[in-house]
Amino acid sequence: MHIPDAFIPLTQAAVYWVIALVFIALSLRWARNEMREEKVPLVAVLAAGIFAIQAVNVPIPWGTSGHMMGAALAAIVLGSPFAAVFVLTLVLIVQGVLFGDGGITVMGANIINMGVVGGFVGFYSYKGLNAAIKNPYPAAFIAGWLSLVVAALVCAVEMAIAGTFPLELGLLSMGLYHAVIGVIEGGITAVALYLIYTARPDLLKSPAGVTA
Amino acid sequence: MIEELFFIEKQTYRKSIIHQLDARVKIIICFAVIVAMVATPYSPLVFPVAGTFALFFLVLWVLARLSPVVYAKRLVMILPFGLFIILVQVFVQNPYYTVFTPIADLPLGLHIYRESVEFATILLIKFLVCISFIILLSSTTKVQDLLEGAGRLGLPAEFTLTLGMMIRYVYVFGYMYRKINEALATRHFGPFDSRLPYRYRLRTLAYTIGTLFIRSYEQGERTYTAMLCRGYGRESHLYIRKKPVLWRDCAFLACGLAVAVCTPVIFWLSSIGLV
Repeated sequence: MHIPDAFIPLTQAAVYWVIALVFIALSLRWARNEMREEKVPLVAVLAAGIFAIQAVNVPIPWGTSGHMMGAALAAIVLGSPFAAVFVLTLVLIVQGVLFGDGGITVMGANIINMGVVGGFVGFYSYKGLNAAIKNPYPAAFIAGWLSLVVAALVCAVEMAIAGTFPLELGLLSMGLYHAVIGVIEGGITAVALYLIYTARPDLLKSPAGVTA
Repeated sequence: MIEELFFIEKQTYRKSIIHQLDARVKIIICFAVIVAMVATPYSPLVFPVAGTFALFFLVLWVLARLSPVVYAKRLVMILPFGLFIILVQVFVQNPYYTVFTPIADLPLGLHIYRESVEFATILLIKFLVCISFIILLSSTTKVQDLLEGAGRLGLPAEFTLTLGMMIRYVYVFGYMYRKINEALATRHFGPFDSRLPYRYRLRTLAYTIGTLFIRSYEQGERTYTAMLCRGYGRESHLYIRKKPVLWRDCAFLACGLAVAVCTPVIFWLSSIGLV
C-alpha cells in the first residue's frame, strides 16, 4: 500500500503533505501533552518495534504472504489515534528515505492512509465496538480489519484522483486483496492485544491506554 | 525489509567521492531530482528528461564505486507494488489521453491500448528514476549523517530527536527480529510450513508480534528512564554540531542542482520550439 513517487502528480501530493503535516503537528502535541510527562522517546523506540513488526512475514492461505500495518494495535494500546499517526510517520520516513518503500513526494499521502486513516478507523471502531459488545478481542479483530481495508480504499481513491488507476478496479482489487489480508491484521491485533493484556496489563490500564 | 538494513549500512561505510560528500548536498540533489522527475508531466517529454537523469545517476553510481549487484538487489526489494500498478495500466484507459487505439484484443473483453502502453512506460521510467536516487542516497550516506544533515537543513528538533532514537533502535530490533526467527527455526517452526496447522502458525506469529511490541515498549521505558537520569527534559534536543560546507561540496551541489532544474526546463522549452 506504500504509494511510490510519480504515481501522484506533484500538486496533489503537496495537498496530501499539507493535510498530513496538520495531523503530524497534532500528534506531536498529543505526545507532549497527553502522555504522562515527556514520553516522546518511548514512542520513538516503540516506532522502531513497529518497524520490526511490519517485517514479520505472515502466511495467507492461498500461498502468498502479508505484513502487519500496526496502526490499530499502536492506537489501541497507547489509547489515542494520534499514537498511530506519530508512530507510522516515523516508520514511513525511515521506509521512504532508507529503503525507497513509499515515495518522498507522496509520503504525505502514505501518512494519511496508514497513520491517519488506519489509526483513527482502528481506534474509534475498537472503542465503539468494545463499548457495544463488552469484549475487547472481537472488537480489536474488527478494528484491525477495518483499519487496513479503509486505508486501502482511501489509497485507491487517491490513485483514481491522480489518474493512475481506475476507481472501480482500484476499489475492487485493493478492497478485495486487503479484505483478505485484513483478516491477518485483525487476528494478530486481537491476539497481540490478548498477549499484552496478559503480560503487561498495566500498559492498557494506564491513563495513556484503553482498558481491555 | 529489516534484513536489508544491515546490507544497506554496510554499503555506506565504503569510501568514495560520493560517500565523502556532505549529507546535505546529497539530500538536496536527490530530492531535487525526484521532485523534478515527478513534476515532469505524464507525456513523452519524460523520456529525454529521465534519460538525462539516468545518465546522471550512472555517473554518480560509478563515482560511488558501488557494484551493480547492490543496485539490483535493492531494486528487487522495492519493485512489487509499483510494478503491479504499472502492469495493470496497459489494459485500462487513463485521463491523460483522449483517444485510445487497441493494439491487441484479449479474452474476457480485455484490450491493450497503444496509449496505455505509453503511459505505463512513462510511469515505469519515472518510478525507476525516483527510486534509483533514493537507493543512491541511502547506499552512500550513513544513517546518522542523513539525520544530522536533515537537522542542519532545518528539520525541526522534535523530529531529529525522535527519528534519531528510532533509527538507533531499529538496529536493536533488527537483531532481535533475527534472533526470534532463529529461535523459531531451531524449534522447527516455519510460518510457511503447510504441515503445521494454519491457526497454530497464526497464533505463534501473533504472539511473536505481541512479544516484539512488549519488548519494544519496555526498551522504550528503560531508555526513557535512563535519559531522565542523564538530565533529559522537555527542552532537550539532539546536539548537532555546526559543519562548514567545503568548496568541493558547494561545487557538487551547484552541478547537481543545475542538472535537476535545467534538464526538464531545457527539454520543455525545446518541445515548444523555444530552444
